[in-house]
Parts: sequence; C-alpha cells; structure tokens
Amino acid sequence: MSELATALFAASTESHLVDEPRSARFERFCAELDEPAVLGDLDRRGIRWVARGAAEYPARLRRIHDPPPGLFIRGAAELSLFDRPCVAIVGARACSAYGAAVAAELARGLARAGVLVVSGLARGVDGAAHRGALDTGTTVAVLGCGVDRDYPRAHRLLAASIAERGLIVSEYPPGVEPAPWRFPARNRIVAGLCDATVVVEARERSGALITADLALDEGREVLAVPGEITSLLSKGSNHLLRLGAIPVTCLGDILAAVGVEPVKAVPISLEPRLEAVRAAVADAPAAVDELVRKAGLPASVLAAALAQLELAGVVLQADGLYRVVMPAGSD
Amino acid sequence: MLARTVTHALVGIDPRRVEVEAHIQDGVPSFAIVGLADRACQEAKARVRSSVAAAELRWPGPRITINLAPAALRKEGSGFDLPIALALLAASYQVPIESLTGHAAFGELGLDGRLRPVAGALVAAEGARRAGLTHLVCAAESAPEVALAGVAPVGVRHLGEAVSYLRGEHEPLEPPPPGDDFDVLACVPDLADVRGQERARRALEIAAAGGHNLLLAGPPGTGKTMLARRLPGLLPLLGDEAALEVTRIHSVCGTLPPAAGLVRVPPFRAPHHSSSVAGLIGGGAGSLRPGEVSLAHRGVLFLDELPEFQRPVLEALRQPLEDGFVSVARVAMRAVFPARFQLIAALNLCPCGGRGDPAARCVCTPERIQRYREKLSRALLDRVDLAITVPRPRGQELAGPAGERSAAVRARVLAAREQLRSALPARTSLAEELLGRAVERLPLSGRGHARVARVAATIAALAGDPDVLPEHVAEALSYRVPRDADG
Repeated sequence: MSELATALFAASTESHLVDEPRSARFERFCAELDEPAVLGDLDRRGIRWVARGAAEYPARLRRIHDPPPGLFIRGAAELSLFDRPCVAIVGARACSAYGAAVAAELARGLARAGVLVVSGLARGVDGAAHRGALDTGTTVAVLGCGVDRDYPRAHRLLAASIAERGLIVSEYPPGVEPAPWRFPARNRIVAGLCDATVVVEARERSGALITADLALDEGREVLAVPGEITSLLSKGSNHLLRLGAIPVTCLGDILAAVGVEPVKAVPISLEPRLEAVRAAVADAPAAVDELVRKAGLPASVLAAALAQLELAGVVLQADGLYRVVMPAGSD
Repeated sequence: MLARTVTHALVGIDPRRVEVEAHIQDGVPSFAIVGLADRACQEAKARVRSSVAAAELRWPGPRITINLAPAALRKEGSGFDLPIALALLAASYQVPIESLTGHAAFGELGLDGRLRPVAGALVAAEGARRAGLTHLVCAAESAPEVALAGVAPVGVRHLGEAVSYLRGEHEPLEPPPPGDDFDVLACVPDLADVRGQERARRALEIAAAGGHNLLLAGPPGTGKTMLARRLPGLLPLLGDEAALEVTRIHSVCGTLPPAAGLVRVPPFRAPHHSSSVAGLIGGGAGSLRPGEVSLAHRGVLFLDELPEFQRPVLEALRQPLEDGFVSVARVAMRAVFPARFQLIAALNLCPCGGRGDPAARCVCTPERIQRYREKLSRALLDRVDLAITVPRPRGQELAGPAGERSAAVRARVLAAREQLRSALPARTSLAEELLGRAVERLPLSGRGHARVARVAATIAALAGDPDVLPEHVAEALSYRVPRDADG
C-alpha cells in the first residue's frame, strides 16, 4: 500500500481520493499492482513521482486539508523550486488584451524577483502568466489531466517550453483525460502550492474565484487586479476586492504580500522623442490615429517610435490599440 | 464549290488559327457543321440562315458542309457565325473569293443579319496579325479593340455591309480613336474621400510604392474596402506592353468597357468570399477561362473577409502569389494565365466582428477566434508584407477636413518606385543592429526578417533617403504580420 497505489486507484475509478480507502476493491487493486514496473515506466517517460511522504513534496501543499497523495511531475527543473516564495496568477480564459498584458507583466516582474509563478496552463490569463514568467525566469503549470496530455492543445508549444525550464505537475497519472470535475481539484493544488493567489480578470462565476476561495480556506493571501466596473470581465475580481482582497496596483503590492524584496529594475531611459510618445500612450490605450492627433506627429514617425517602444518592452499592441505595459516607477 | 475564310478560336487567352471551309454540292438538301463544334457553334446554322435571308442574299445549296479546321480542336462560342456566313457566300460566288485574301473574320450574327460583338476580339485580332493577315472583319463595337492589336479593323453593323465591303462597293467606317487622351484617373476613387485613418493611408502608400501585399484587420465598417479601392489610383499607369496584356485578358472575359481603348489604370478585382477555385484561379467546364487572379493581373486583388473563403481557394492562391502566373490543366487542354497582382486582404478581428470595436461587444469564445485565425495558413500570411489594424474612426475624425488627394500621394509613390528601380537603399550599421535586436526580442521568423527589410527599403525610398536608417526599420517593424504567440 502506498500513495502511488492510491493515486492510480483514484484515476482508475475516477474518484477523488486523499487517503487510502478501506475497501476490498482497493486491496485487490494493490495486490495486482506491480509498483516497480509502474515506476520504471514513468522513469522511462521522464516523469517523476513525488509521494506525499517524500521530503521533496512541496511543504505548503502538504499543509492543506486535502493534499493529493502525490504529484506526477514532468519537466527539467529542480523540485527545490517549490521552496521559493510562490504566487499563483489566475483569471479568465476569454480575457481582454489588458488582462493578458497585466498578467504577463506581473509574472515577468515576479520571476525577475525570484518568485515562482504558478498557474493552470489554461488559455487567457493563465497562458499569459506562464509566458511572462518564462521571459525572466521559470514557472510551474498545474494540470487537471495527465502531465503527458498537453491541454489545451493550443498551448502545446507553451507546455513544451515550460517542460524545458520549469515544471508541469498533476495529481493524475499520465493518460488521464481532462474532465470538468477535475479542474476545481486542480485549482486546490494551484492555491495550495502558493503563498498568495492573484486574480487578474474573472467573470462572476469563474474558476479563478474557486482558486481564490480555496486559497482563503487555507489562510493564504488573495489579491485581485482592479478592473473597469462596467466590464463583465472584472465583475468577479472586483467583487473579491469588495470582500477585502488586496488590490494589486503595481508589482510591489504582490511582493509585499509574500515578503519579497523588490529587485531594482534597471531604469529605462528613453530619448525625449520616445518619452513624449510614451506619455501620450500612458493616458489610455490608443490607436495610432488617435495618437497622431494627440502627439501632433505624422503617422510614419509615430509608427517608428511605437515600434521602438515595443522593442524596449515599454508598450504593447493588441487589436490595433497600443498600451503601456510598465507604468512609470512600477518596479 | 469550296471557299475558305480564316478566324481564330480562343484557347485560354491565346488565339488558335481556325480555317472555315464551306463546301456546296448537289444531293439531298442539308446543312452540316463538322470539326468539333460545340452547342453555340452548331446553332450558328440557324443564325447564318436567317442572316443570309435578312441581307437579301441567295441561300446556296442544296447540300452544304462547313468544316472547322483543325478538326481536333474544340470550337466554342458564337464568333464563328460571320466567318461561316462569308465562306458560304464566297463558295456560292456571292462575294469574290479573292476579296477574302488577307482578311480574317470574327463575330456573332443576329437573326436580322446584325453583327454583335463577341468577347475576345482583341485576341482574335492578335491571331490575325501573327498569321500575317491585315484586316479583320468584325462588329463595329469591336473595332477599337481590334485596332489595338495592329490589325486594320473592318467594323460593320450588318452582314449586308460586310458583303458590300468585300464586293468593293463600300468602305468601312473609321473606328473612333481610342479614348486615350482623357484623364483615365478621374474615374478612380480618390484618397481624399478617406477622413482620418492616417495609419491606414500611410500603409497604403508604402504598399503602393513597394508593390507589397497588405493585410487589413479591423471591425466591420471601418473603411477597409474603401481604402483598398483607392490603391489603383496610387499606382503608376500601365505601360504599353502591360496594358495590352491586361486588355487581352479582359477582352477574353468580356469585362472590357466599350470603346475604352487599352486598360491603363491597374485593374481592381474584389471577388466575393463564396467564389470557387475555378472562379478565382481560372478554368471552367469547357474552355479554360482566366479567373479573378488573372483579371487582377498588374492590378489589385482585394479579398474581403479572407477567412470566410473556402480553404482550397486560399491554398490555390499560393501559386500565383509565388510565381505570378497560374497554370490550369484539364483533361483536354491546359492553359497558363498571367496573374501578377498585388493582394489586399481584409478580415475582422473575430468571427462576430465585435472585437476591437468599442461600440460593439464580442461574443466569440477563444476557441472560435482561434479557429477563425487558423484558417489563414502560414503560407498565405508569409506572402503579406504589411499588416495593420484599422480602428473604427471616431466622430471627430469623420467631421474633420478631407485627407490628402491621391495625386499628391501618387507623385511620392512614383518617385519612390523610380529610386527603388535605380538603386535599392542599403541598411546602415545602426539600422542593421536594430533589425538584429528585433529578431531576438520579437517573434520574427527568417521570412519575417526579410519582409521587414523589404518594407524598410521602400520606406527609405519614400523618404528619398539613399540609405535605410533605423527609423525606417522601426516603422517597418510596426507593420509586421502578427504571429500568434503559440503558433
């Protein structure tokens, strides 16, 4: 009898198990199970198994009230990654360009400061957070299916780059297909691994709010990025703020919540011409045509300036609108 | 008695010499056309018979055989009516046989003997010139087209008129000189109608100067079509050779405006997204006809709602985009059509059209948007040099003054084209460094790199700079085709 047997039994019976069940069926299952063969097979496929009893099992995860019996892990990074301060960034799958930009930028800053960014590899905010974190460091993705199933398919390349430099973890053995009921269970691992959970954009009944609830249940910090009060996409995240979540106004707010010293980013000094354009974009996301009137520059000059700002990582373009990624003095 | 006339059949957009032989003999009365004549061609019997009567000429007989040689070539259409009638009349001594020397004939007859123009008169005339013939008897409406090919047109309105010309009783009307002297650009929509949209105007100018393919993305109603329609007005007029080539294609397809002379303004074609592969590329059940890509030859092909086109249609665009021609093959024949066009493609940011529009709400799921964008194959996007998002113009822009006129933009475009032809601007070391940094920082493929370099050279030429400076590269980067981060 072992945690591995429990995990495999849970997967084969499609049930949610934390501890060994007491049933004749489980005993029969254990009697038939050839554990060394399973471990050998996992090893051949480059998948690690960390049982709850093992020393490398993430300490924070062990402290939640229903820790998974163990984790299947794919990826090259060390398991000591989990000893770092961890922050979950979660949010809507159908997020806005703003939501994606904020998630990526916060993740970038957190990874630069040595914080491990955890998320669920879903589309939208999750994917943006993983990408941002990979830009400056590493990240962990928690799946609601086997770690060999790249789900969603659109993120298979992203999953590959996470496996190269970070970790992909799941409580389900390889081969388990995604199912709707597994995602809330996955969210408890996301919340459980982390010191704090940041909700970027969430509708009224979003999976991200489940993650936030689970984090609160375990006594972890919950933060939310304020959104427009008129947008349905920020209804859930603004509701969290009303309930007392910490508002995220800059990277420093998250770092303070997990007690990490911010690293001084090298201040980018822009030439006056670019600074003027940056200032024009900073007011609100704008299309080039609006900036032409605002900055009084021809479209050609403006396009060149915006491309240079984009290259410097100061502005970002989505759906024809340019927006500033880093508000002045955010780091 | 036997008599011959010469005409030309269309194979694709090329003429093939066809001899029409008429043979009259004794026997059981009959009228037969042999030599792989199709339905329209067989029906010539009825039209010729009525026309001969209408021209108050004698119907010869009793036994008439018409042979269209070479017999193995499939003959289509109604252009054989006139040569059949003339051969028949020559065989029955109603027109002198020697008067047909040096003449070709081409045209459809009406039951009252009237001559109707047929598509492809220009090609038939070119065939006549190559065959060493000096005159082409045709409908009066086709005369200007025939004159373009360097053959003397004999424009007639009635079969009787053709007969009296051949008998030497009457000289044909001189065709009106082709209208080359009026301002052809006056009919092209002007850029001054576009208010605001500075970025789109600039992208259009660069596309015109460098001959770049352009992708316009944006919510519906933001003027993508309006912008695209104004590109031909920014391009140089077609030279003699190109104009003849374009006019020939339009002549075959019957899309030539009457009495317009050579097509000097680059054509603009905007096929609907329900078009078939044959409609776009060329082909057809019987004869092979040029498709929209060839009608847009030396001009602009505008594909609105690009992702709504069927996948095979989009894939079929790759050959013309790559090679500048299409080759269409069927069991019986094959044809090569020129298709060197400039592509402007437009698409919405999402299937419902709400994305990117502050006045609407997008109801698309991320999966649906993904599927929409995945319809555009990388191979097609790789052919696009410039991509911009066209925002919805605000009220204050629409109320603003009219924009710059096409003529002013066109002058800059012509100067830039001149410079690009004489010496391609080279990148300075600073510009090279910026481009290198962009390849590292942005998702920019090898092909993307080459496209940015090309566009930067065009921008430098537009600015009149002999070198490509960093700001030119930077501006070119802002038009790069977005790559889905995970694509």
